[in-house]
Amino acid sequence: MLKYLLRRMAATIPVLLLVSLMSFAVIWLVPGDPAAAFLDSSASPEQVARLRHELGVDQPLPVQMVEWYGRILSGNLGESILLRRSVGAALLERLPVTLSLAGLALILAVVFGIAAGILAAIRRGTLADQSIMTLALLGLSVPDFWLGLVLIVVFAVGLGWLPSGGFVPITQSVTGWLATMAMPALTLALVQMGFIARMTRSAMLDVLHQDFMRTADAKGLSYRFVIMRHGLPNAMMPILTVIGIIAGSLLGGAVVVEQVFSLPGVGRLIIGAIMSRDFPVIQGGLLFLGLIYLVINLAVDLLYAAVDPRIRL
Amino acid sequence: MNWKNLALALSVGATALALSPIGGHAQTRGGDVVIAITQAPPTLDAQISAMQATRNITLHLFETLYARDENAKPVPDLAQGVAISPDGKTYTFALRKGVKFHNGKEMTSADVVASLERYRKVGASASLLDAIDTIQAKGSYEVVVKLKVVQSTFLDNLSSPRAPIAIYPAEEAAKGANQISYIGTGPFKFVEYKPDSHVKLERFKDYTPNPNYTKRDGFAGRKDVFIDTVTFRFMPEAGARVAALQSGEVQLVETVDGPTKKRLETNTAYKIYPALPFSFQILKFNHALAPTDDVNFRRAVTAALDMEEIMAISYPDIYQVDGGWVYPKSAFYVDAGLKSFNKPDLKVARELLAKSKYKGEKLIFLVDNLRPNIDTATVIQQRLAQIGVKIDLQVTDWPTAVKIGWSPAGWNLFAHGFGIEPFEGPGTVMAAWANGLSQQKDDPEIDRLYTALNAEMDASKRKALFAEFQKRMYDEAVAVKIGNYGLFQVATAKLKNFEPYRIPRMWGVTLDK
Repeated sequence: MLKYLLRRMAATIPVLLLVSLMSFAVIWLVPGDPAAAFLDSSASPEQVARLRHELGVDQPLPVQMVEWYGRILSGNLGESILLRRSVGAALLERLPVTLSLAGLALILAVVFGIAAGILAAIRRGTLADQSIMTLALLGLSVPDFWLGLVLIVVFAVGLGWLPSGGFVPITQSVTGWLATMAMPALTLALVQMGFIARMTRSAMLDVLHQDFMRTADAKGLSYRFVIMRHGLPNAMMPILTVIGIIAGSLLGGAVVVEQVFSLPGVGRLIIGAIMSRDFPVIQGGLLFLGLIYLVINLAVDLLYAAVDPRIRL
Repeated sequence: MNWKNLALALSVGATALALSPIGGHAQTRGGDVVIAITQAPPTLDAQISAMQATRNITLHLFETLYARDENAKPVPDLAQGVAISPDGKTYTFALRKGVKFHNGKEMTSADVVASLERYRKVGASASLLDAIDTIQAKGSYEVVVKLKVVQSTFLDNLSSPRAPIAIYPAEEAAKGANQISYIGTGPFKFVEYKPDSHVKLERFKDYTPNPNYTKRDGFAGRKDVFIDTVTFRFMPEAGARVAALQSGEVQLVETVDGPTKKRLETNTAYKIYPALPFSFQILKFNHALAPTDDVNFRRAVTAALDMEEIMAISYPDIYQVDGGWVYPKSAFYVDAGLKSFNKPDLKVARELLAKSKYKGEKLIFLVDNLRPNIDTATVIQQRLAQIGVKIDLQVTDWPTAVKIGWSPAGWNLFAHGFGIEPFEGPGTVMAAWANGLSQQKDDPEIDRLYTALNAEMDASKRKALFAEFQKRMYDEAVAVKIGNYGLFQVATAKLKNFEPYRIPRMWGVTLDK
């Protein structure tokens, strides 16, 4: 297992290097510069040049590249041009919001998605199956920004049950945190829930007709036990793969949801940085998200190994 | 104004204050106002940012020596007044006594000198103070500014709200850009800044409203604060901003679109505040590239355009078709050149085009991705197609548009808003075209007029110079003034005595329980 773990970790290094190179390439790929975030259209070229110099974006690219690798290899993501503080600190400050959002959405999507998928599989061809699959398709098709606005109109404006946006840290108030997270997490989860439900149904259907399921049933085990103990674990491989992909895409989806619900998360930080060409934040943010993605993938690989011993061979 | 007149003005002001409704009438006190604004400010260091999102907040925290009144005229704010030497080069500012910073320290000349010096180094519009030779404190309450040359617009510059020349405590002014603590003299005090979420301010309890005024007046005037706190929430999503207003979480939305305004105006729980004019819509030509370097081509484009059509499509609910290069209420508003404004005639346009260098090539029309600017560019593109001009519309985000549009290559036409400059007045409007700044090629006549305006202390002669400038803009089709647009602000009906202005001012307002 240790050998497998080391092999998988070693495989992430070239990917990380590629991600860091692509993060740096942002400077070449994106036109515009941070001067526009401070100055308006009437600023003189001298003013722009002076500000660019002050912001340190007038250095030749090779110099900037050497600085970039020098920094990230020492664990420093640089300093934000606009926030005038360390990129790492800015990311970590916003990480609880994004992790809360993505984590809660993942729990909702996994729990309800798997439950719905199992139900649809064991009631195959019934009205319940049809309804679950239709809802799953609907969930997959609805754009998250639209769904978010509908939820705001219903639960914040219409019923007045939940705040329309903003964030309360869990350390400040658990109920406040739940109230501010409920709609964004649901928005983010609904799309993925449909995906997981469809995948679970399909994987479970493959397993339900296997010989060992019939044997377990013939032994007189309860139906619930057969499904949960013999069926689900054997259907987990494709589901785990999907969950791994979803965990990463939840971080991407969080960008849109954070905008709609005015949540001060990592996605919003990166969007703001893109709009104002705060290159250190864009680069650091991309690298950071890339790293999280790699960690998630590594975790999924390890879970595969835990679930299926053949993988470790 | 000399000291004697100033003393007289002060005594009149004090008497008026004693008799004024604000002085003697009980106002509803307390309440927390939340304002939904579209963008987060890049910084709260007022001096280094020229962004609307920054000044929305910072002009509640910080004040300037002079500030603009309701009609954009510079009037004293932290200064009592100014004595200008006969040669027009020495400005002696008397400071108001007893003005407290939020840290309890009294403002003195040392703070003013340090703040002005800082602005010259790091200010986003540092060129506003280019004419200054020296700045010296004279005692604790006087500051002497000596100019290298006469600059009639010096008080205009000093009171510019664009990137305000805010007065900081000297110890803060000693710090670099974006490294200060947010300590000012304004009627609100900084409480917290949660990046990408909100900025919260509270009433500054030791604030002494300027006794020289009796009422709110632009960025100056009397700044009485009746509410307890104001929170600026950054809400990029338009639908979420309105939903937050409807659910009672915010009390004022900085801007809503026409359909939302129509939906809410029938509901007595809300009040709509149109702010018109808020900005110009303009079309720039790149004079450094053919064929936009050719006056006949520029005239052909101008003659082809129907300004009513462009404004009605780009800003369907709130616009004015107006050709003046300052806002209609400005003391500098003149009609020079306006006889040729908005005379759409495709036949004339074709004739002018035939005389120009244009050879049927595709021209680059640069525009940022703001919906009304794209609409403006699209209408112009369609209109120009009717006279045979081919346009390649290049839509980018604002930082990219700025990067290209501030350079002499890569574009022929560029449409965008032009808002704070016309508010600031003729000096700033002309500055945008002096030294070829916006058109990328020097226009000696505009440069001459701009220099003359700066050196002319007589207001009526300055107005005449501005009239010449405006005529030049039309005669040479330097750029196209399309019209003025505005914005709708919406507040809960419980918010009383609110008046739209360049920023959503929270002094003078009350909030019913």
